[in-house]
Amino acid sequence: MVSILKKAIMAVTGLGWFVYVVLHLAGNLLLFKGPETYNAYSEFLVSNPLIIPAELGLLVFLVAHLASAWRVTRENSAARPQPYLERVLSRRGGTTSASGWFSTFASRTMWYGGVLLLFFLILHVWMFKYGDRSGAHGLWGLVVRSFKNPWISAIYIAAMLPLGFHLSHGFASALQTLGLLKPRWYPGVRRLSQVVGWVLAAGFILLPLWALLFAEV
Amino acid sequence: MDFILKVWRQNGPDAPGRLVTYEATNIPPEASFLEMLDIVNAGLEARGEDPIAFEHDCREGICGSCGMMINGRPHGPGRGITTCQLYMRQFKDGQTIVVEPWRAKAFPVIKDLVVDRSAFDRIIAAGGYISINTGSAPEANSILVPKEDADLAMDAAACIGCGACVAACKNASAMLFVAAKVAHLALLPQGKPERRRRVLAMVAAMDAEGFGNCTNEGECEAECPKNISIAHIARLNREYLRAKFFSR
Ligand code: HEM
Ligand code: FES
Repeated sequence: MVSILKKAIMAVTGLGWFVYVVLHLAGNLLLFKGPETYNAYSEFLVSNPLIIPAELGLLVFLVAHLASAWRVTRENSAARPQPYLERVLSRRGGTTSASGWFSTFASRTMWYGGVLLLFFLILHVWMFKYGDRSGAHGLWGLVVRSFKNPWISAIYIAAMLPLGFHLSHGFASALQTLGLLKPRWYPGVRRLSQVVGWVLAAGFILLPLWALLFAEV
Repeated sequence: MDFILKVWRQNGPDAPGRLVTYEATNIPPEASFLEMLDIVNAGLEARGEDPIAFEHDCREGICGSCGMMINGRPHGPGRGITTCQLYMRQFKDGQTIVVEPWRAKAFPVIKDLVVDRSAFDRIIAAGGYISINTGSAPEANSILVPKEDADLAMDAAACIGCGACVAACKNASAMLFVAAKVAHLALLPQGKPERRRRVLAMVAAMDAEGFGNCTNEGECEAECPKNISIAHIARLNREYLRAKFFSR
């Protein structure tokens, strides 16, 4: 497939998941409100007739994102069979481009971070979507009791690091891939992307932290 | 000035290569990097050794042939210059300088520091032109071009096709080069009629050469000797998506 189309698919599906992640965080912050509100919100989602199409859509987007990411990453490593013996990245060599964009840890680890997110996603869906919510306080109870286990909380907190990195490059990258940026927006959009990524990661980290330290079941 | 050079020597496309150490002595600070190599080569030839092969032509930053990786950076330290515009006073006396060719599957090494950049020519041949007889220079005001468009097109047209963007990119992507060519022509009235066909054909040709995919990191822009902006890559993406999905 044409390079630009592969990237456009990644950008559209990535932004789709980004929107989901924002809504998912907003919904889950209701955890602080206690079992009634949180369980009512969950009930509202599960009983919604649109839930199945939305889930299927997310699944299709994830598969398309992954398939494109796999092709792009493989082709990119094939494009330089012999690496440089010496290579200085722009920021470290004293050069920054006029746009203020440069290669970052986040941008160079998109594939690895993405794979970590995939493993997390599988674990997460298995734990909570298909978990047993019949105990005390329903789903809220399941979530809070899970996070009372420091190991589970640690995994959830650690898993948000790849999310922060992935989005701090991905958000700006997607806008560039879709050709939506004007010249003077570049430095700002890169910073915005980093803020967006880390605010989301921090938001999710609050949930296990709060459950572990303050929640009473 | 004296320098220790570590230069990539490779006899042919399929021969194995390696770094060979040379001493460059008595180099005037005002010598350009290419002149320094000339001096080293004169010494090698005097001893009956094979001189270091490197490409060069204009030696004034306009032909784009002299690209090489110097201490890990395309065209060496400094911003907005080609290798022929790099002067030895930029380096410290006694410094070790590592010189490698551009490395990309689409730019195979011919010998030493010379790579085959004809992949770029094939991309241009796929559509980087306008197919009309231009005749003699027309009356300047018969086709009006807004100043903003003319400026943007001129910025893009500064591309000399040296390949530093490919060399700098971690994916060996040629997007900045193709973007510069596509943007240059798409912005001007003479280029508009073939806009759709051009972008589709040039991107297809770029992919066929085995360049990598752009991951929007901006290393190309940081190392471009003509300071071409990645905003042109956004324009290329726009042009492509428009041609593919939003035109006839
Ligand atoms: C929470 C789920 C995810 C979200 C919100 C997300 C979001 C994004 C966004 C917005 C982009 C930018 C697209 C572009 O560069 O045009 C991107 C790129 C990428 N994603 Fe994801 N992604 C997610 C999961 C994954 C997974 C599971 C993988 C792989 C296993 C993955 C691998 C990649 C790769 C390799 C890129 C590279 C793009 C580049 O280097 O420019 N992502 N992602
Ligand atoms: S020799 Fe022409 S650009 Fe350097």
